[in-house]
Amino acid sequence: METAAIKNPGPVQARRTMSDTWYSILLIAPAMIIILFFALVPLFYAIDVSFRQADLTMGGIQGFVGLRNYRTVLHEPYFWQSVGTTVVFTFFAIVIEMGLGIFVAFLIHGATVGKGLIRSLVILPLATAPSVTGLFWRYLYDTQFGLYNYFLSVLGLPWQPNWLGDIKLGLWSVIIFDVWLWMPFVALIVLAGLQSLPKEPFEAAELDGASNFRVLRTLTFPMLTPVLMLVFVLRTIDCLRLYDSVATLTRGGPGSVTETVTYFLYRQGLVFFRMDYASTMALLFMYAVILASGYALRPLLARLAMRAGQR
Amino acid sequence: MLQQRSSTPIEILRYALIVVILTASLFPIAWLIITSFKPADDIMVSPPRFIFTPTLDNYTYALHKANFMHFIQNTLYVAVVSTVFVIVLSSLASYSFARYNPGGGNILFFILTTKMFPAIAVVLPYFLIFKEIGDTAVGKALGIGLDRPGALIVSYTMFNLPFAIWLMVSFFQDIPRELEDSARLDGYNRLQVLWRVVLPLAAPGIAVTAIFCLLFSWNEFLFAYILTRDAARTITVGVESFFTLRGILWGPVAAAATISVAPMLVFVLILQRYMVRGLTFGAVRG
Repeated sequence: METAAIKNPGPVQARRTMSDTWYSILLIAPAMIIILFFALVPLFYAIDVSFRQADLTMGGIQGFVGLRNYRTVLHEPYFWQSVGTTVVFTFFAIVIEMGLGIFVAFLIHGATVGKGLIRSLVILPLATAPSVTGLFWRYLYDTQFGLYNYFLSVLGLPWQPNWLGDIKLGLWSVIIFDVWLWMPFVALIVLAGLQSLPKEPFEAAELDGASNFRVLRTLTFPMLTPVLMLVFVLRTIDCLRLYDSVATLTRGGPGSVTETVTYFLYRQGLVFFRMDYASTMALLFMYAVILASGYALRPLLARLAMRAGQR
Repeated sequence: MLQQRSSTPIEILRYALIVVILTASLFPIAWLIITSFKPADDIMVSPPRFIFTPTLDNYTYALHKANFMHFIQNTLYVAVVSTVFVIVLSSLASYSFARYNPGGGNILFFILTTKMFPAIAVVLPYFLIFKEIGDTAVGKALGIGLDRPGALIVSYTMFNLPFAIWLMVSFFQDIPRELEDSARLDGYNRLQVLWRVVLPLAAPGIAVTAIFCLLFSWNEFLFAYILTRDAARTITVGVESFFTLRGILWGPVAAAATISVAPMLVFVLILQRYMVRGLTFGAVRG
């Protein structure tokens, strides 16, 4: 590139730009090849399989069947049940995590002593593998040996719930676990947002004698909105594709009350080996997630991408 | 700001609530570690015992009888190798994005959308593809295929790349461009500028990204669960091997889980300054 540029002397500005372009493409090429290859090949593979008969227990991947798999999946009541479970889980998990997380962020933000230590300790659940801690929570939830029911009895409550066995409680047990795991994430990022707020508007509001509530409503929350949106979208994506903790904590049970879309998909594909149905569902699910999250995140991330070019 | 108005009773209430939250957050981890040191007789009792004679029996059992050492080796190998790949590829790409922004933001955004793929949607095609590659000579030579570490290395590299690129772009943006320009004036060529000026300055960011990649690979479950059976099995999946026909051996499970969780707790304590940045793909600076 450099030599080619020297052989064709042109205006200095044009030469530099041309060469910059090629250099920048050369640097991203290795990563882009990998990303394109390993993201698009599986995608096209899944699209292909979704139009075929693919029962791995009976002859593997076979001929084209048109839209038959899509029709079958969309008429499958268990698929819709798993969609419902996922939506209910996502709704309650997000509401509780956001509410509690924001509350905890304000608590820590206002703390005068030991802020750093509190922050370090509160984020520790984020370090753990959800599959591993999910497995251990089965012991915590145990009706006989578990700590939760022991605490309830110590507090003098007559309520001894069967966390993982009661069909009314199963999903709530997963939600509680998810809140334990991810509330710190919300708290951590909202806290960072709070700490990066400019001081001047708040000082002005104090001089004007504005009430705490008014400051929160008209200053703090509006200024936090971008951060809150980001947390909301990232958490929603993660909740929709919840798999690890269901796989180890409840295995979709009791019955199928905690069977999320991803867990249903897993069972179709790798327990019953109906790759055609599984691929079809995976694609439908993926389109939905990308459409929703792509639009929600676009403005926020476009800003970061723009900043990338300016330097 | 707000805290200046707080009076003593409010401060007491604040710290009381913080203690409650911290207790709720930490006791499951504490109980996991405590259980891992309990003798078998003290684990399956009601009410739970808080006083007992600590023992290393569970660790001995997990490490020797159940071949857990092998899972640890696999996890380390897969996590380290995939992290090296990710760091090499992403530091070049991120520098380019931060400095020249090829594609005007569109390529960078496309990279992020690949991260939106639900892992489960990708893992089924990967399963089928690795099943086929595994039977070919190339697959055998490179160790890629079902139940081979190469399959996980490829998967984790793919999964961490978008994240690493985004995070590192934000670190590279912090390096003043003037330093590069003056190095160019001193007669360095582009590669020398990258190698001798930019990368040393970006070293802390690269290190942080590497630790995040290690953390994610170490804790990954779905791919390891579906693409491996025994030979290439990792810790997160291996913890389940103490679910026996006679019941769940909670002592060894807790020991194995502690081995899985402990190194990452240390990492997160080191990382905590950068956690915000890492978990938001660099979009929020902590």
